[in-house]
Amino acid sequence: MKKKAMKIGNGYMSQLKLQPLAAALIWVTTACVGQGSDTPESDFRAALLTAGPVTDVGWYAGGYAGLMMIEDSMGASVSHQQTATPAEFDEAFIAYASSGYGIIFAHGNEYQDAAIRAGQEFPDVTIVVSGGGRVSPNVVPLIFRLEEGSYLAGVTAAYVTESKVVGMVGGVEIPPARGAFLAFEAGVHAVDPEIEVLQVYTGDWDDLAAAKEATVAQLSQGADVIIHNLDNASLAVFQAVREVVEEGRVAYAIGMNSDQNELAPEVVLGSVVIRIADAFHTTAQMWQEGNVGGAPIYANTEQGVIEFVINPMLRDRLSDEELERISSTKALIRAGEIDVPRVVFVEGEPEDH
Amino acid sequence: MSQVELALFLESAVRLGIPLALAAMGETITERSGVINIGIEGSIIAGALGGSLGAIAFGGAGLGVAFGALTGLLVAFVFAVFAIGLGADQIITGTAVTIGGLGMTGALYQVVFGVNGMELSVPMLAPAAIPWLSDIPVIGSALFAQAPTAYFAYVMAPLAWYVLFKTAWGLELRATGEAPVAAEAAGVRVRAVRFSATLFGGAMAGIAGAHLALAHAGAFAENMSAGKGFIAIAVVALGRWNPIIVLFAALFFGGASALQFLLQALGFDLAYQIFLAFPYILTLAALAGWVGKSQAPAALALPWEPNR
Repeated sequence: MKKKAMKIGNGYMSQLKLQPLAAALIWVTTACVGQGSDTPESDFRAALLTAGPVTDVGWYAGGYAGLMMIEDSMGASVSHQQTATPAEFDEAFIAYASSGYGIIFAHGNEYQDAAIRAGQEFPDVTIVVSGGGRVSPNVVPLIFRLEEGSYLAGVTAAYVTESKVVGMVGGVEIPPARGAFLAFEAGVHAVDPEIEVLQVYTGDWDDLAAAKEATVAQLSQGADVIIHNLDNASLAVFQAVREVVEEGRVAYAIGMNSDQNELAPEVVLGSVVIRIADAFHTTAQMWQEGNVGGAPIYANTEQGVIEFVINPMLRDRLSDEELERISSTKALIRAGEIDVPRVVFVEGEPEDH
Repeated sequence: MSQVELALFLESAVRLGIPLALAAMGETITERSGVINIGIEGSIIAGALGGSLGAIAFGGAGLGVAFGALTGLLVAFVFAVFAIGLGADQIITGTAVTIGGLGMTGALYQVVFGVNGMELSVPMLAPAAIPWLSDIPVIGSALFAQAPTAYFAYVMAPLAWYVLFKTAWGLELRATGEAPVAAEAAGVRVRAVRFSATLFGGAMAGIAGAHLALAHAGAFAENMSAGKGFIAIAVVALGRWNPIIVLFAALFFGGASALQFLLQALGFDLAYQIFLAFPYILTLAALAGWVGKSQAPAALALPWEPNR
């Protein structure tokens, strides 16, 4: 980052004067991204790359928890880096691959091309790309079947909606996000095909103001259940729903990526949970046994990695019969008897996998 | 669109416009003194964190806003030391301050709250409806049932205009931005004027950040400023470096943003990216159409070395 800032400089005087500031910034940024990177002691080294902050109580937080799990239960030396721009992806891969990290978790679809490049350069290193779309002998996508949980969320939303309008607020329309929304819609329509499903993308995972107004726009169109696919900005979705509930309306939000029921227990009806940490841990174990490479790894409801967790505080908003039907739907998905729609994005992946 | 829907849309427009108005008004004063501070993004995110921490520490959102202003000012101080004190390139320094602000707030946030964050526990700055005014049909609730920081923006716009164009201090400030050499010859302390104008801009950006966290979102999150500092800089140009027009330009941009969310929610079958681009396209069109030959201060972004 600092390097770039220096390069666009035009006068040597200004560059000279910037040096103390740049040095201070380098110190600050390395201090903030170097967490968990104590001097490596173990031969087993695992690294995590995220494109966003691990304080998001969701997607990135799950990845970080996975890394911690690998450190605690497998005795690995671990390191995490937050990369801000695609330009830094390659640098980060090279840094880890060339300093003895055997397995690198690149936690996001956006890393896939840089991962393939790094994989070619460092054939002994394994790179696991969450939601990745490209496969090579040492670069494997870790595919979370988020659709299965989203479908259950859709079924649940259809049971509680009174206005017969539900909404979805997304960040950027990447394939995993599109798949989750498609499945949510299918779940809603499996219960009642008449229910209207609204959709808004804000274009930013962290912009709370945009997410809040997108939610407000859907609530004002009559939606009374809102699901999100956001990182940090999900907090604003809950806040917007909370405000209309305080005004006396009945409305709910649905959490995503991790169990967000506790964040706003009076409005979050349930959460589509990816047990990212468990999936990372299992993947690391498979890797130690030499079983990772050449093919995508799938994490789904069958293994308990994807779940839909109903908020115990709002459980009474569903009748016993509805709760029963939600769990029987879950069982059918596990057994592969419900065809949950999804977006195929791994190259060469069969439609029916 | 029914009257109720129109009122809801206008409320959303004002909510999205206010943080831009606050930051852009401060930046207007800064730019009028000949300094372009693109580091206000850093001041906004610092103000959001400072505001949240202040609100939690003092147990009230009002003091949180004051604390947010102070943190925004401190970030602008760092910029001012390098860009004005040492005469470093303003664009590079501003970029560094923005990146530094985003990184440092993230690090600090993790140190204070751990990796799980603070969640939704910040005391909020509740909207305060102004009696009578908020009862005006359609626009009343949009303009006059907002958080106190919005009223602060309404008051600041004419006040900043008055100071800028009707007082001796405002004349000195504008002279510093148009012709620093002449201003210095006339006895104006160019650096001191630029320094204070920059600090004022930082404090306003800090208030904008505190407003985002305390009045709008009810939470702090890393990177939540999401480029609003840069949009504010465009709003300054759209508002022709005039605080009153800047206020309206910010509300116009807020309206365009609110409209794109509404259009998406109404289910128009178009790629969402087109909606997302809508406010920016409108701004570009407005910039090209009516700002015309730009009236930027003549000495904008030029470093100044006093004549010794």
